[in-house]
Amino acid sequence: MMPAMAKIQVLVLLLLYIAIQCGSLNVDTISSDIKIKNVDRSIDISSQLVKITSKVTLENTGKVPVKNFLLSVEGGAKSNLAFISAKDQNNKDLRLVETTVKGYDQVKFWRVELKEAINVASTAIIGTESVYTKALQPFPTAITQQEDQLVKYNGNLYFYSPYPVVSQKTNVVLNTKSVESFTKIKPFSQQDGTIAYGSYSNISPFTEKELNIHYKNNSPFLTVTRLARLIEVSHWGNIAIEETVEIEHTGAKLKGPFSRYDYQQDHHSGPASVRSYKTFLPASASDVYYRDTNGNISTSNMKVKKDSVELDLRPRYPLFGGWRSHYTLGYNVPSYEYLYHSGNEYLLKMRAVDHVFDDMQVDELVTKIILPEGSTNIVVNFPFTVTRLSDSLHYTYLDTKGRPVITFTKQNVVENHIQDFQIRYTFPRLLMLQEPLLVVGFLYTLFLCVIIYVRLDFSIHKPEHQHKD
Amino acid sequence: MPTTAETKHSNGRNKGIFNNTTGFSTLITVTVLSLAWLAGFASRLFAVIRFESIIHEFDPWFNYRSTAYMVQHGFYNFLNWFDERAWYPLGRIVGGTVYPGLMITSGTIHWILHTLNIPIHIRDICVFLAPIFSGLTAIATYLLTSELWSRGAGLFAACFIAIVPGYSSRSVAGSYDNEGIAIFALQFTYYLWLKSIKSGSIFWSICTALSYFYMVSAWGGYVFIINLIPLHVFVLLIMGRFSQRLFVSYTVFYIIGLLLSMQIPFVGFQPIRTSEHMAASGVFALLMAVGALKYLHSLNPKGQWKQLLILGGLVAAGTVFLAVVLLTYMGVIAPWSGRFYSLWDTGYAKIHIPIIASVSEHQPTTWSSFFFDLHVLVCTFPVGLWYCIKNINDERVFVALYALSAVYFAGVMVRLMLTLTPVVCVLAGIAFSILLDLVLKEDEMQTAPVETEDSKNLYDKAGKLKKRTPEPVPAADSGLGMNVRSGTLIAFMILLMLFSVHCTWATSNAYSSPSIVLASYGNDGSRKILDDFREAYGWLSQNTAEDARIMSWWDYGYQIAGMGNRTTLVDNNTWNNSHIALVGKAMASNESAAYDIMTMLDVDYVLVIFGGAIGYSGDDINKFIWMVRIAEGEHPKEIHEADYFTERGEYRVDSEASKTMLNCLMYKLSYYRYDSGGSPAGYDRTRGALPGHRGFQLTYLEEAYTTEHWLVRIYRVKKPDEFNRPRLPLAKRTIPTSNNLSKKPAYDLGPMTSKRRKGLLKNKPTLVKGKKMTKLE
Repeated sequence: MMPAMAKIQVLVLLLLYIAIQCGSLNVDTISSDIKIKNVDRSIDISSQLVKITSKVTLENTGKVPVKNFLLSVEGGAKSNLAFISAKDQNNKDLRLVETTVKGYDQVKFWRVELKEAINVASTAIIGTESVYTKALQPFPTAITQQEDQLVKYNGNLYFYSPYPVVSQKTNVVLNTKSVESFTKIKPFSQQDGTIAYGSYSNISPFTEKELNIHYKNNSPFLTVTRLARLIEVSHWGNIAIEETVEIEHTGAKLKGPFSRYDYQQDHHSGPASVRSYKTFLPASASDVYYRDTNGNISTSNMKVKKDSVELDLRPRYPLFGGWRSHYTLGYNVPSYEYLYHSGNEYLLKMRAVDHVFDDMQVDELVTKIILPEGSTNIVVNFPFTVTRLSDSLHYTYLDTKGRPVITFTKQNVVENHIQDFQIRYTFPRLLMLQEPLLVVGFLYTLFLCVIIYVRLDFSIHKPEHQHKD
Repeated sequence: MPTTAETKHSNGRNKGIFNNTTGFSTLITVTVLSLAWLAGFASRLFAVIRFESIIHEFDPWFNYRSTAYMVQHGFYNFLNWFDERAWYPLGRIVGGTVYPGLMITSGTIHWILHTLNIPIHIRDICVFLAPIFSGLTAIATYLLTSELWSRGAGLFAACFIAIVPGYSSRSVAGSYDNEGIAIFALQFTYYLWLKSIKSGSIFWSICTALSYFYMVSAWGGYVFIINLIPLHVFVLLIMGRFSQRLFVSYTVFYIIGLLLSMQIPFVGFQPIRTSEHMAASGVFALLMAVGALKYLHSLNPKGQWKQLLILGGLVAAGTVFLAVVLLTYMGVIAPWSGRFYSLWDTGYAKIHIPIIASVSEHQPTTWSSFFFDLHVLVCTFPVGLWYCIKNINDERVFVALYALSAVYFAGVMVRLMLTLTPVVCVLAGIAFSILLDLVLKEDEMQTAPVETEDSKNLYDKAGKLKKRTPEPVPAADSGLGMNVRSGTLIAFMILLMLFSVHCTWATSNAYSSPSIVLASYGNDGSRKILDDFREAYGWLSQNTAEDARIMSWWDYGYQIAGMGNRTTLVDNNTWNNSHIALVGKAMASNESAAYDIMTMLDVDYVLVIFGGAIGYSGDDINKFIWMVRIAEGEHPKEIHEADYFTERGEYRVDSEASKTMLNCLMYKLSYYRYDSGGSPAGYDRTRGALPGHRGFQLTYLEEAYTTEHWLVRIYRVKKPDEFNRPRLPLAKRTIPTSNNLSKKPAYDLGPMTSKRRKGLLKNKPTLVKGKKMTKLE
């Protein structure tokens, strides 16, 4: 008995191992046919994120048309990378597949699959965008209330690519003139708020050259350490959304006392602190609430705009470096905007994550979708790779067997991840009647019991009639 | 006498009519009671509508916190809960020092709803518990009054209690306190007691005991029941109204009630060990003795038993009394506790227990507050009392005793107004019922009563009248003319209308403030919310270490634990006077002496309430004199109350204040860097004075957080190395400075630091400096 079991186990494990090997590890080679003619790169470090957009001109110097090429990210930066995408000339998104290249274990690669192959000796312009979180280090790491926040950016002066780059330029956007220090490799120029590097020519593949900029950055360094998003779908016309947000100021820590006097005296006081921020909700959002465990947070404003609802959220207290806060934000949206159906087949199309504040960074996102009771054949389609957690059941008003709950989680989320997921499921429409019938049945039984109780005499012995006086 | 006859008569009549129209009276009763419930519930929702669904004030926060704990961890874990977040470093055994009835009630509701898949948050259950129970109280009052007098009076009483401010003051939505459910338990116990004494049935006695058990589990005021019922029995004995019914009902109630009440961990053996409960045992023994004598009497009814009976009774009473006194003397029975002494001697608390006297609700009641809380009822209830005494029977003896004792207690302490309110409603209900009997008796035409009923519907005293309507011409002995009667009727209807207007107004304006959220109104009527308390507690909960210990005056202990989730030194469960006195001493000492106390108590943060900026009068400086008094009680050598007054004996904070006052920790923490609050800068709007000592620095503490309107100020207690730096070798000292500071000064040219760091600016381009300066200006 035991050996047989063990054998099967080993076999299964082996199969699993092979499956994993085949499934997740794409192996590519670096094609020597591709040359990068020109790179126009812009590094935006004016917020808490590092946003790099590049315009890459690829040239096919080989003999066969090129159908795909590789994008790479430095080994040191790959853990900070939150988002990467590529677009072709027509501004169409290209498919990116994670891959590896032998001999470059530290480097992270993506294979970009082009829609139209690059013919021999012709070029194609590809736009890439990548967003890094936590790439800006506050230095000094602790400041007093009145000080400005200085941060250090540490990146690569050259476009990091597996292909040789003929010519490249880099523009660093700081939005401030107060720069403490920056890497000075000629040719460069500093103009209000930007530093331009280049052009540099003939950089060989995988060249890394340190680019250091130490500058003032008082933009809000807010990190959502955990965002739990709960979407509850009702077929009675409403979708309830509730977001539980844990937020932390991850910039330079506050050193020394907080003085209300200084903070009140001068509007420039606490330049690195966050007093409020804006959250945009869908235009149809209604019944918005903003509260924490101690109740309503009374310091908020709501503005209904044409294409969105703008919430001006003020935490209970200004957030200084290292201070945390948490709150719950909830609202309703009508279901016809997000829920489509034909017959008993339903399709829910909603955002996997929504806007919390501009240039947000979310460490951990957990989205839960509660479908109506009785939904079956649930098929989920995510816009980006997520970790799907095990399904569960949720019981709420008038539920008998529970509502199916789909849960997924993702680390390191930024604004670019505000994309729709899709869930298809089957829901027999007759089940809509279950809950009203339950109420009707309950009331019916109740009245019946009262009628029976009133009409029949259950006393063991007859009390004398006059005792009421 | 005539009135009883009439009532009986009318009852008889009603029965006839009701037999014809089946269930008519039941329908009316149910309608009126449910309307009363609804009105009571609705009038308690002002706070929720104006603010939000939130727990109010101080004690409710503890109740809510322990309810939430119970819901989360289960009942047995709750009973065994040792709360290390309170009374640091002592901790508190919550399960054994709390009346768990409130938590169990809302926990049960929560459990039932969640079993039915109704996911209502426990906070909402807690918020709405008291308004829901106000409806049950109305029903219990109805039952009690209809036992005493008539169902019509019962309906009146139910409507009164549903909206009367004296009761709604303690039971608005969010005021999640023991009193909210205890008044229901109180009224229901009394109802069952009357029922059992009327019927003499063991069933009703056991019901009384069970209801009493619920009351014991819910509120310390159960002592009122366990003294009032024996008093009733005792008075009945004196009046020669001994009966088998009385014997059965009291003995059964006493034994079962005693056993049940001892099941509550907090009560424990108190019912047999303390003086407060001795009256019940004494009466029990007396009743036994009287019962035995009666039995002997019944064996030989012809002998000289009458005198023997009286003599025997007196001897028994004397013996019981002496036994109790002796046992108290020997220490078997604990003497009266201070809180009870203060009920008899109103000056007692002020001299011996300042901590009790410091609470505003323990002050003697003023006349105006009688009227404010009871309005017209306070004038009419003596009428009901008079009728009850005039037509005395066993139950009415009870209500008379209830009224007299409750009036006394309410006069002693504002808080005990709460126990007076139900009986006032009962008696006023009776009074109004009698009045309507008189006024509406003769009218055979249906039109008049129908009209009054309609007008009354507005403030839902309605159905009662209907019941009165079928009451034509029983006896024409009242001899009042038609005009007089309708005049009286209209006058009283107007009174009742004013009453309901007053009730709504009082509940809305005086009793519906959550007190943790303040609202101020601008000139244009716009409302501004001052949310400083939650701002500060939210800050504490998020930005201090998980085990940080917060020192504050005891008033805020429950709130810090409930909203801030941090360890406190003292809280509203004022069980340890010396610990409170220690905190008071720290607040009253100068900074360095206070620092010693604070390090001794491991304090990390100090929280003070300062209302000077917005004119909030309930702040710590105004409470400060009590801190001094309590501290002086325990530390008479270090703290002297007189030091904190000026030479002329005034309590001031301006430049004429005493030196001790100007240098004590509380003063410094309140006014540290306080320079806002209108003109002149630093003006204290609460006390209307300019603080006498300003511009000082703190050595041992630093400001950690101050809320937007300066209401809550939190200070961090520095560690010894922060104000008393250890010596470093010269080499070590310079390296970090040159590294860190050389960059900062270019940006940090705040007025505070520029002087100190000027020397380091040498190498920096002056351009940046110049820019910054202009920007600042």
